[in-house]
Amino acid sequence: MGKKMKIILKCLLFFFMLMTLSGCLSAREINDLEIVVGIGVDKDEEPGKILLTAQVVKDTAGRASENGSEGDGKAFWNVSSRGNSVFDAVRQITYKTGNRLFISHNKAVIFGYDIAAEGLEEYIDYFLRAHEMRPTALILVAEGRASDILNIKPEIEKFPAFNIAKLVDSYVFTSNFYKVNMKEFASCLMSDTSAQMAPLVSIAQDEESNDIYMSGMVVFKRGKMVGKLTHDEVRGLLWVLGKVTSGVIIVPSPNGQGKAVLEIIKAKSKVTPEIKDGKIVIHIKIKEESSLSEQTTTENLADNKALEKIQEALAEAIRREIMLTFDKSRELDADIFGFGEMLHKKYSKEWKYIKDNWDEIYPTLDLIIDVEARIIKTDLLKKPAVPSEGEK
Amino acid sequence: MSIEKGTISSQQLLFLMAGFVQGSVLLIDFTVGITEHQTWMVILAGLAIAAPVVFSYVVLAKRFPGMNLVQINDMVYGRFLGKAISIYYIFFFMMTLSFNIRDVGELYITFLMPDTPFIFLLIVFTATCAYAVTKGIEVLARVSHLFVVTGMLVITSTFTLLTSQMDFSNFLPLFELPFIRMFQGIHIVSAIPFGETVAFLMIMGCLNKTEHAVKSTFFGLLIGAVSLLIVAVRNTAVLGRTQAIWTAPSFQTIRLIDIGTVLTRMDFLIGIAQTILIFLKCSILFYVLAVALSHLLGLKSYLPLVLPIAGIEVIIAATVFQSPVDHAMITQNAGIIYSAPLIFIFPPLSLLIANIRGLPKNGKG
Amino acid sequence: MIFLILIYAFIFLINVPGLIKRKEWRELTAFSILYVIAFTLGLMYVLDIPIPSPMKGLQHLIVDILGIEYPQG
Repeated sequence: MGKKMKIILKCLLFFFMLMTLSGCLSAREINDLEIVVGIGVDKDEEPGKILLTAQVVKDTAGRASENGSEGDGKAFWNVSSRGNSVFDAVRQITYKTGNRLFISHNKAVIFGYDIAAEGLEEYIDYFLRAHEMRPTALILVAEGRASDILNIKPEIEKFPAFNIAKLVDSYVFTSNFYKVNMKEFASCLMSDTSAQMAPLVSIAQDEESNDIYMSGMVVFKRGKMVGKLTHDEVRGLLWVLGKVTSGVIIVPSPNGQGKAVLEIIKAKSKVTPEIKDGKIVIHIKIKEESSLSEQTTTENLADNKALEKIQEALAEAIRREIMLTFDKSRELDADIFGFGEMLHKKYSKEWKYIKDNWDEIYPTLDLIIDVEARIIKTDLLKKPAVPSEGEK
Repeated sequence: MSIEKGTISSQQLLFLMAGFVQGSVLLIDFTVGITEHQTWMVILAGLAIAAPVVFSYVVLAKRFPGMNLVQINDMVYGRFLGKAISIYYIFFFMMTLSFNIRDVGELYITFLMPDTPFIFLLIVFTATCAYAVTKGIEVLARVSHLFVVTGMLVITSTFTLLTSQMDFSNFLPLFELPFIRMFQGIHIVSAIPFGETVAFLMIMGCLNKTEHAVKSTFFGLLIGAVSLLIVAVRNTAVLGRTQAIWTAPSFQTIRLIDIGTVLTRMDFLIGIAQTILIFLKCSILFYVLAVALSHLLGLKSYLPLVLPIAGIEVIIAATVFQSPVDHAMITQNAGIIYSAPLIFIFPPLSLLIANIRGLPKNGKG
Repeated sequence: MIFLILIYAFIFLINVPGLIKRKEWRELTAFSILYVIAFTLGLMYVLDIPIPSPMKGLQHLIVDILGIEYPQG
């Protein structure tokens, strides 16, 4: 009896386990998922409500093989809903899609200009708290309505959201804006003094088509948008942050005619805050290497003397970019460089008194900028193809 | 008289201990709400405080070879007081086990499988632990090798994958937080990952040779502490200020791994590692609870008690707290206060009394 | 719920016949007591009867009566 009973019990147990353990209650099959790749948040006409636009991937594989053509050519669907809060709107989208959104693949969250101006702190919580959202998602601000940005069909990529993510990643080529993901944005929001930034996306309207492009960065203070930075101003910021990876600098050539155009190869920065005699001084040291990529003058710039002069001009140009950005930030009274946090880390005792008055103190900061620029190569030409007067 | 017929070697003790401490890796995440970027300091300080305490456990075990905590209590404090203290310990094991089981459930419910009913997760996990316990301590000791190595691999690999996103200035300014918070943090860390090893007093009686017990315990503790330290450093360096707002910083950290668009979405990895490690910790606690209870009741074997205890534990785990917030708030206050005597006071006291009374007397035990 | 009955029947069947055959009465008593406690708790859970949480009691004891508490925040 004992042995048989044991065997029967074991069989029952296995059967029971088979029934209960072989599945997953939260399992959602792929064709049931509404995969979201981009989300846009705008203010709705009704006060107090927001318009949420979600870019959902369309399952065109089956359809294409049937028709032989791609229908209206869009592989995505921008579905929108109105709600009193972000999560409310997200759920209300199920009225139109029939299924919950799957935001795990979301690449970017785009906030409309009007929402950014009003203040993001009401709308950002869901994107940090939702367990499907990933902190690597990008955050951007649209110069206009986010839903319009999501509607622009890109030429090369299939989905506008992927296109936007690709565009944001291209910052490495020009260093005129930079990538901000959710975690960095949240980190800045948590700081008492730093101003948050997000890239700005605009629509360039040509005659035939609308293309989106990255037009700069937006500056927030405590979640509210306070100003914009142009490409050059952003680069000034990136010099200080050490995030410049490549880009183009144009300086006048030493002989006064024409320009020398340099490509930035590498740049490093070292920032040290210092409190001296009651004044806060920030020491910025920039080390930069570039190459001569183009010249519009006929004089041969590839000799040491000329290169030295260009390097000086280059250092001066970099200094000017940084001061330009700093002046703009002073005007906006926004600590976009994060000097506040640097002071916090170094002078934690004094920081307790400083941080409450940071808004007044920030514009009085002194910057001491020391730039060391070197030109390390001249690409493939030793001398310009058009010889100068003195050489003929 | 010993219930457990199995014996373990010193090396197995080492791995059991290391795995046990590693099982508390997610606990560091809860401490971060209190100690933020100074968590690493708190871990080191907790280790410094816990080390002599754990040392006293080992010395006590060596003094009473082959005997476990319940028997030791009986000898040192006499039958009535000894049993009362053992009941206090059993209550502690019971509650701690339920907290850990609940921890696993919360992990799954928040991150991995939010739609599954909580109680099912608890039942499945507890049933697996119960099964492991019926197999005895030797089996647990043998698998602990594997678990500890897996845990270390996951911890170090996630650390390496994230080095590009680390910003070590996040550790400054040092000593910013008020001391009371540091004190609470140190209390939590010395009590929960390290102090709960008092459970090992039930297991050290099974050592086949007690010569290397001190070394094994020390190294086991060290390996566990290093694992916790690596996790704390990784989280602070990567997340910086945001560390204090996420429910589970470790998860968010892992989600940030994004290398070459191939190595992404690795949070399942830490989910698996964490589950394995907590499983080891729970199995050990479960085993300790079953043996202690059966010793107290004078039974010949602990096996019949396993399943009913499992049933009780599941329900306690399901109902003891209302939400992860509740869990964190209570364990960080009352939880560590009520367990403090058991961890910090009784074992050294037992040692002292044993010294004074000259226990164990020859011929006894 | 059916699960509850099934699980506890299973537990009973695994343990009891062996204990009876080997005449381990003490173990059987201990088992029965714990079994009854576990089953009652399970039943209370399934029937949505609130189960008092020991930690809440401890928290009350330590914080309110003894007054030991770490300052919040």
